[in-house]
Amino acid sequence: MDFKTIYSTISLCPICMKKLDADIIVEDNQAFMIKSCSEHGDFKTVIWKGSIPIESWIRKKERAYIQNPTTKIEKGCPFDCGLCEAHRQHTCTALIEVTGNCNLSCHYCFANSHGTKHQNPTLDQIKFQYESILRASGKCNIQLSGGEPTLRDDLPEIVKMGTELGFDFIQINTNGIRLANDEVYVNDLKNSGLSSVFLQFDGTKDDIYEALRGRALYDLKLQAIRNCQKANIGVVLVPTLVPGVNLDNIGEIIKLGIRYAPVVKGVHFQPVSYFGRVPEVPKDTDRITLPQVMDEIHKQTGGIIGIETMKPPGCENALCSFHGNYVINENGLMNITKRSSCCDDIEKAEEGAIKAKAFVARNWAYQKPKCCDGGHSDWDKILNTLQNNSFSISAMAFQDVWNVNLERIKDCCIHVSTLDGKLIPFCMYNITNAEGNSIYRTNNVN
Amino acid sequence: MNGQSDKDITWVCHKCNQNLALKKVKVRYLEGNFEVELMKCTKCNMVYIGEDLALGKMLEVEKGLEDK
Repeated sequence: MDFKTIYSTISLCPICMKKLDADIIVEDNQAFMIKSCSEHGDFKTVIWKGSIPIESWIRKKERAYIQNPTTKIEKGCPFDCGLCEAHRQHTCTALIEVTGNCNLSCHYCFANSHGTKHQNPTLDQIKFQYESILRASGKCNIQLSGGEPTLRDDLPEIVKMGTELGFDFIQINTNGIRLANDEVYVNDLKNSGLSSVFLQFDGTKDDIYEALRGRALYDLKLQAIRNCQKANIGVVLVPTLVPGVNLDNIGEIIKLGIRYAPVVKGVHFQPVSYFGRVPEVPKDTDRITLPQVMDEIHKQTGGIIGIETMKPPGCENALCSFHGNYVINENGLMNITKRSSCCDDIEKAEEGAIKAKAFVARNWAYQKPKCCDGGHSDWDKILNTLQNNSFSISAMAFQDVWNVNLERIKDCCIHVSTLDGKLIPFCMYNITNAEGNSIYRTNNVN
Repeated sequence: MNGQSDKDITWVCHKCNQNLALKKVKVRYLEGNFEVELMKCTKCNMVYIGEDLALGKMLEVEKGLEDK
């Protein structure tokens, strides 16, 4: 079959994690990564498939090398993460894993968290991590993650610690079970300064949760949303998209999100990626790529969300995500974003990071609806509309060891804080080889 | 402006010598379309936007629509 090489990059062997030359090729209107390990053979993984050609998606950026690198270049990318001086993007969101424990045993989990066997980091330890983030990256957005962070009774204290150190936007990444069952806890989180909940929300039917999370959770998810609404905490619905499980539910998830606006601020899809011990190489049919997600959004919303309203990011690498911004109005949705069909403009990555931070802080937090206080002009009405009716649809494609592309890793703006105060690009932190062994995460599967 | 709002001042279109009047005008930022009342020349449709508005509410709306 004829193919065209789009560009060459560096990847890793899925078995030994040695660095390998890799090509991004286009064949039959799909893009693949191909690479070959002298010891472990050839690997070919789909990375881009759908109606938008990969060549039209790339956004050129002037790199934003970080000012305060924590680590030196010694072994070369991706083995010096900390961040090192070769990293090309600032931190937009820093993650702190406040626990390794979890009350679910999900089939798909970045953190490989099951049960309650882990010792939680102390408050002093977490303070050290907040301060390390401040030193390296300034007042970026913070996501408290895990494990399941709401298993900690002192999570409100952790949120408060962050706000007192000057972080304006703090979000928790949660399955929502405790938020559904414990309103007092939700209020405590709000009073501590929590801005936003990144709510694992895989669909509008229980069979989806049974397949992905091992139990029916749909009613709990809705209760968690209602409790956040009462407490005025913004919610972003975060579905993990898995072929054969919930791809046909994409439109319903978006419709539900819009129905629960303004407390629901948007939907952020995460196509499945493969971490941990994997018995076989994931097949291309086990994956869904970003353009396929955009095609499904368009199709399953009856065309209300146009393909052209979804754009590549200005912050992270273009191949990592898409987003569209909308305002809910009486006619449905008005799109604010539109993908440009040109152009050769080179944007500044640093500016992209600043804009992305501001956008997330503004659009993923819930501000109590207000009507017309502070003025009655048409401009006040628009401001009220933007505050109450803005809705975002986005997706981020995480990289696993089969499709990891060091060009994307170097451009990453979502960084995981480690116990020793380093920052590791999110995918690099979570990547494991086929045996489940990590480069950076410490709870390897053995 | 001595505390006077644009509405209290009689603005005249320099080109047409016509008084401006408050009219509904379509404004657009990025892909967002809205309708607002602005001072407009009824002849040539030129719109007047004062500094207070441009650096005040209008800028707030622009920031609210800003993309990442």
